[in-house]
Amino acid sequence: MLTDVIQTLPQVIVDGLTLGAVYAVIAIGYTMVYGILELINFAHGEIFMTGAFIGTAILLTFSGIGWLSAMPAIIVLIIVLIATSILTGFLGMGIERVAYRPLRNAPKLITLITAIGISFLLQDIIRFIAEVKKGNYIITGPSLFTGKMKLEASSLWPQFHDASFKSTFLVVLITAIIMMLVLDLFVNHTKWGMAIRAVAQDRDTAALMTINVNKVISVTFFVGSALGGATGVLFAVQYGTIDPYIGFILGIKAFTAAVLGGIGNIRGAMVGGMVIGMLEMFAAANLSGLTGGVFGAEYKDVFAFIILIVVLIFKPEGLFGKAAVEKV
Amino acid sequence: MKALISSLSENRLAQILLFSVYVLITSASLFLAEKSVVAFLLLLLSILILYFLNLKTVWKWIIGFVILGVLLPVSASQGPSYQSYMEVATLVGIYVAMALGLNIVVGLAGLLDLGFVAFFAVGAYTYGIFATPQAANFMPFGSYPLSGGSFWIFLLIGCFAAALFGILLGIPVLRVKGDYLAIVTLGFGEIIRIVFNNMDKPVNITNGSMGIASITPPSIFGIDLLYPNQFYYVVFGIVLFTIYVVRKLEYSKVGRAWKAVRENEIAAQAMGIPLVKTKLTAFAIGASFSGMMGVVFAAKQTFVDPTSFTLLESTTILVMVLLGGMGSVPGVILGAAVVTILNLQVLTELTNWMNQLSLSGVIAIPEALSPVKMQRFIFGALLIAFALYRSQGLLPAKNRKYNPEELKNKTEKSSILLLSKEKRQA
Amino acid sequence: MNVLEVTELSKSFGGLAANSNITMGIKKNSITAVIGPNGAGKTTFFNMITGVYKPTSGDIRLNGKTLVGLRPDAVAKQGIARTFQNIRLFKDIPVLENVMAGMHTHITSNWLGILLNLPKARHEEDEAKKEAYRLLEYVGLEHLLNEAAGSLSYGAQRRLEIARALATKPSVLLLDEPAAGMNPKETKELTDLVQTIRTQLNITIILIEHDMKLVMGISDYIFVLDHGEKIAEGKPHEIRNNPRVIEAYLGKGALSLA
Repeated sequence: MLTDVIQTLPQVIVDGLTLGAVYAVIAIGYTMVYGILELINFAHGEIFMTGAFIGTAILLTFSGIGWLSAMPAIIVLIIVLIATSILTGFLGMGIERVAYRPLRNAPKLITLITAIGISFLLQDIIRFIAEVKKGNYIITGPSLFTGKMKLEASSLWPQFHDASFKSTFLVVLITAIIMMLVLDLFVNHTKWGMAIRAVAQDRDTAALMTINVNKVISVTFFVGSALGGATGVLFAVQYGTIDPYIGFILGIKAFTAAVLGGIGNIRGAMVGGMVIGMLEMFAAANLSGLTGGVFGAEYKDVFAFIILIVVLIFKPEGLFGKAAVEKV
Repeated sequence: MKALISSLSENRLAQILLFSVYVLITSASLFLAEKSVVAFLLLLLSILILYFLNLKTVWKWIIGFVILGVLLPVSASQGPSYQSYMEVATLVGIYVAMALGLNIVVGLAGLLDLGFVAFFAVGAYTYGIFATPQAANFMPFGSYPLSGGSFWIFLLIGCFAAALFGILLGIPVLRVKGDYLAIVTLGFGEIIRIVFNNMDKPVNITNGSMGIASITPPSIFGIDLLYPNQFYYVVFGIVLFTIYVVRKLEYSKVGRAWKAVRENEIAAQAMGIPLVKTKLTAFAIGASFSGMMGVVFAAKQTFVDPTSFTLLESTTILVMVLLGGMGSVPGVILGAAVVTILNLQVLTELTNWMNQLSLSGVIAIPEALSPVKMQRFIFGALLIAFALYRSQGLLPAKNRKYNPEELKNKTEKSSILLLSKEKRQA
Repeated sequence: MNVLEVTELSKSFGGLAANSNITMGIKKNSITAVIGPNGAGKTTFFNMITGVYKPTSGDIRLNGKTLVGLRPDAVAKQGIARTFQNIRLFKDIPVLENVMAGMHTHITSNWLGILLNLPKARHEEDEAKKEAYRLLEYVGLEHLLNEAAGSLSYGAQRRLEIARALATKPSVLLLDEPAAGMNPKETKELTDLVQTIRTQLNITIILIEHDMKLVMGISDYIFVLDHGEKIAEGKPHEIRNNPRVIEAYLGKGALSLA
């Protein structure tokens, strides 16, 4: 049993890294919005999904007019990423402006309900568009990177099996890491980043310091949603097939990652995402073997959920968060 | 016109007369017409009109009871679509009870539960498993399926099973900040579905994605309940019971604690109200309504499978509560009725109509736009619209009015003074 | 005799000391004021007594029983009630029900008794209503019993908070800036109310207040906090002339100017 675990470990790590990178970037979106508004933006998973569809639509258009074969794949990817993140960024900003801002002083419950409404609305609009255009809401995009690679882990340690992966794996991982690095620089070393941190800490005082709070919140939504949308593109490139409902479970897992890392903590969200991705892939590969077939790989979604509950019981402030003191 | 309305709102006799005429006409047309959805819906509408009449509450209850318990079933019984009317009415009842349950959690205690349907599933599976040979797979004793008479006990068992799940989920989650509850319940709703979908191995408990079929119908006095018109009365009874429970609790120590926690957690605690216990009670009681209706649902459909328990269902119930008015019992009943009828009647009728239009070539409507497929869109839009523009719902919650004359104490001495006397002696 | 005994109480938030080594004895049936400049740690002190914050070290004893480690609702049950600096009423429910919510621990029927409509449950509920009405009369709000608490005027809201706190039948009542935002007439009424509560109900009162006229006029004893430490204690006339207190309020050098 243990040998199975060890043999598959390289493959688990490779798959876990990819999935973890996706979770990590989405988790950033949750954590930024929560940090600044104390709101779980349920629609964030759907923004990710919308990004996947926009990206695929652009790719399909490109392949229709023959640009796909005419340009190097990496250039195409960069164009698609930039276009998609701008669009989803504005989408996120628009959602905040229309649905959240009027409710900023309303009870939290009402805002959460709006968020779930937005989430449903986006799912159905995307389904509708996809179905009208393609006749089916499950869409498969053209593949950008077709090469296969092999990680010869067995040469490292004979117990390991080799891990194989598509070359998209590297692209996704590297892109995700670049996005996280850029975001980290943005938040910690720019004027806007400082404003975001200030508003997250104390909105009223920030406003007194002549920070335009509404603008900062808009920027936060833009950045978070742009990242979410771009991750959608990466997801579509990596896994090929998408549907309007991918954002839901994925959103819950990314949120779990954000909680695990300490909600409001951007670097924590990155680590949390990686951990969740790894654990999930580990569970998918080994759950059936370890439990003697009682629990199959289908339980991998349950697994992430159990992590969420366990974190909430034992360490609600997360791995890197500070325990909050409520002002009375 | 205005003068007419205002004079009408004062004249009780005229109100009663007009209302009786309305009820008579609608029930007569339901009785005489072969197939009249409109008459059926208009007769249901009479309950809403009744709510607004200037009558004593007791009389409203009696009249409402007669209309729903006697007039509606009798006048519908003649047409060929009798059972389909009763089916709709039964489902309305099931959703009313569930929405009342969710209303306790969301409306009174202010906790957002997005996986409410999970408790419905627990109830449905509890009865489904034991009222089929399914239970024989893992139960070491007893012979299965249980008889239809056990249904009545299972109403209680379903209640308790769902409450238990509610407490088990609530204990870890309710200790931390409130907004996590939303996402945990969201996840829980989905997880329950996955678990039921996969509990066919290693021991076959739920029969996995195949679902559990041919569930024993309930029986009473040797009569098997098979048809919607029979279930209608079961559901009618349970709905009356749930309304009683909610009403009674709402204006008691328990309900005040819920509302206090909703309004201000810190102040509630400072008044000696234990937070976690109060929230757990709301969670468990809300869940138990849902579990009870799950049992009824399983018995009525004689089939359960995981596809009946999706996030869409949970959200539908949330829409009912928000649309009707959070915390408002009449509002929630209205919301549940409106949404259920919208789902079952209006959307299907609209789809049929649009299909006909498309077929006859009047206008081409893409199939993707067919109203039955647009549920998510419609419910999403309703949630946003009501949250933004009318968060108190169609029939907002009203505070009970107290009569100071009844509270003034003329004979007894103030107990504040009594209290101080006790203390002085101590 | 001291009803409340606080010994070497400290609280720090992530290394920042909000309260350090505060020791106080509160006499039974007294009106005691806790004063100090903004940020002196007065509300933190209240929050520790009521169980909202857990002390970093030290002890709080009510009639000899320690309160440290109890949840706020358990502290309330022991007989400590409070009002809040930033009013925390149950805004959407009627004034009368706000007060009734304060009687939570004194209504003993459980949900089953309520659902079965047992005579005891009904009786308790009726009594609670009447008692709540009497408390409203006591603070002079009985005519507003059906209003939503959030719709009341500022002064009325403060008095409603006091009525709600009294409903828990406390032995010690903590008032956090009860006169903040009140006009002189309202402040006068409040002063009278606090004194009546003490004399008629035998409740020990501890209050945080910035209105020095009120504090000096009403208190039997005063504790002064500054930067989280107790810098003085004594009778009002002693505090009035204490150089350290004047320095804390007006800054160094104030004395020489005076």
